[in-house]
Amino acid sequence: MTAAPTLPADQQRLAEDIYRLMVAQGAMFAMDTPIRQTLASLAAFLARREGRDRAELEAAIDLALSADSRFTREVVDGEVRFVTTRQGAYVPREDADTHSFKQRLHDPEHPLPIDDISVVVSTSRPAITTVEPVYISDYWQVQLAAAPVEPEPEAVTAPEAPAPVAEPVLGEVPLTPEAAPAPVEAAAPEPAPAALEIPAPAPVVEAPAPVVAPAPRPAQPPRSTVFTLSDGTAIDLRRPVDEIMAEYGDLLARVLAERLERDPLQRIVSFGRKYYPEANLASFGKNDLRKIRDYILERNEPLLDTEIIADLYYHNPRQADYEGFRFSLNYRLHREKDFEFVGVEGAYLWATRGLTITSGKRVKAAEMGQITSYLVEGYDDSSELQSVEAVRQSGSVTRLLTFFEWEYGVLPLDAGLAALLPPPLLPDQRTAVLRFESPQHYTTYLVEVRFPAGNRGGWLQGLEEFFREHVAPGALITITRTGEPNVFHIVYEEGPEQTERLLTFDEKKNRFAFANVSFYCVVDEEQLPTQSRYGRLNRLKAFPMGERRKAELMLEHVSETIGDQVGTPAAPRYAVTLDDLYVAFNVLRPGSRAYLKALLERGEDFSADESTPGLYYYAPAPRASAGEVEEEEDEALEERPPLRQRYGRYDEDE
Amino acid sequence: MDAKVIVFGETAIDRLVQWLRATGQPQDIMDLVRQYLEILSKAVREENE
Repeated sequence: MTAAPTLPADQQRLAEDIYRLMVAQGAMFAMDTPIRQTLASLAAFLARREGRDRAELEAAIDLALSADSRFTREVVDGEVRFVTTRQGAYVPREDADTHSFKQRLHDPEHPLPIDDISVVVSTSRPAITTVEPVYISDYWQVQLAAAPVEPEPEAVTAPEAPAPVAEPVLGEVPLTPEAAPAPVEAAAPEPAPAALEIPAPAPVVEAPAPVVAPAPRPAQPPRSTVFTLSDGTAIDLRRPVDEIMAEYGDLLARVLAERLERDPLQRIVSFGRKYYPEANLASFGKNDLRKIRDYILERNEPLLDTEIIADLYYHNPRQADYEGFRFSLNYRLHREKDFEFVGVEGAYLWATRGLTITSGKRVKAAEMGQITSYLVEGYDDSSELQSVEAVRQSGSVTRLLTFFEWEYGVLPLDAGLAALLPPPLLPDQRTAVLRFESPQHYTTYLVEVRFPAGNRGGWLQGLEEFFREHVAPGALITITRTGEPNVFHIVYEEGPEQTERLLTFDEKKNRFAFANVSFYCVVDEEQLPTQSRYGRLNRLKAFPMGERRKAELMLEHVSETIGDQVGTPAAPRYAVTLDDLYVAFNVLRPGSRAYLKALLERGEDFSADESTPGLYYYAPAPRASAGEVEEEEDEALEERPPLRQRYGRYDEDE
Repeated sequence: MDAKVIVFGETAIDRLVQWLRATGQPQDIMDLVRQYLEILSKAVREENE
């Protein structure tokens, strides 16, 4: 606080009195906030309080306060004002920022040397985000300066006529790599660099001291241009990229994909074959996901990503960020449990929890996977009729329909179909949904492809309606690719109307029966399960699907049912051909001829007729009499393992 | 850069990210590999020159 000045006593008292008044008035002000009063107001107040003449008092106040350094006199519009503060004289605040953090940051007191302009951080944001440069610490700057410097090429070459250099000079000036190699010509000696202050050489020196040029550093060996992958593959980066891609493209793609997958920062994320920076992903909240899920359920079928974007987000494919947005959507949905990717390359379809893709799942997926396991066990003989290459080239598959396939609308995913249909896009993809169009009837069916996984086979389902309405078992169907990756055509050879007593399955009574069926397609008579040819098929037991997984048991049952009894009642023996077995076996479950042959060869009770190719005998173990049965049953329960374990393919838990 | 120190999929991956961001579009894995090889080749060439 400023001390009161030395004034005449009455003026000093008056100034002190007014200062206390004004400080009291601004008691709630900040210490340096100005407190103002006009001269007129002060004079009026004091004149009233002290009963003195106002004009006289005004002159006295003006005189006293003007002389007091705690007050500042102002004249505004002809009116005199006095300003003070709680801390004394009023000093206007200076807002000029002369020592800010910002200034100190950008204008350091002792800036480090800048060798490379790229290490200077720009204040403008670059169009492309870059990794910010790291300023090298003082330590490394010092190390860099102390490191030996390679001599310039000129310095390495020895001067033709070494100049005589006075010895005292050498003794006084340390020989640095920069100074030493400077040649000094004898005829016209140049002055040494000023910084070194080397005096001019003496005009007459009889024995010049030899100047030792620094030995040139050995040239660094050329750096390697070959890098090695973890599996030992060496790739030379001097080769053209196209050449490297042609030779190692797939391998490098696999390695790079694995590395990016393992990147803890997940800087690049993938969906299928596409890769995108994680930082560029568009965000989708819970509301977005709920909206998408509701929309899929409303449409009641899997939807393409492009449909979702167009219908819910109104994004136009011509927008610059369209592909990025599309990738973000697919990437996000793939990470959500409520959504399942059911698309293929070129058609990204999404299903959601609660959506029924194909109607009427009469066969459970777990059971069907086990039933078709023979395909992955090496018993797929579909390529014998039409090679995989032929399927790929022609883009179509032709096959005969079995009873099981016709009844349940299911096709085992054998090698022929696998070559025709697109593979799964994602490594963990279980299902793909395809659209099968019938050009003969202008109908469309959603077909679910279940890809093989582990020891379970794959299959197609969803053609039940088409098969039951338009064809019969034994019909020749052809499935063909179209321009769309997820759309296929299914056709059959049309024929005149035929009515036959065909095998049917009465689901209510759970038994097989023959019934009159009319159909309009060409069929293979050998495969058509007519009553006249396969009259015993209706005796087949309609095992539950869980039991049908046991191929050995089914084969025994089929052989016993359709085989000709050539033994005795006590020791029955059934003769059956492979063709009949194939038709009958495929009534209960799918199975290839190769699989049947393997089962027949493996089965202890089966034997082949060596004189007749394709003829087999089934001789089941003799059955005990009724009395013995009861006794043996108890023993069997304890001793004999259950059927499933006997055949060793399925566990009891399954 | 000495190619011996290259770890494919790790070395100079930030430059690949930079390129991918600059394109603004998702890229096929083969295009990504091609660009990555270009980046590595350039890094090795620059060092040797």
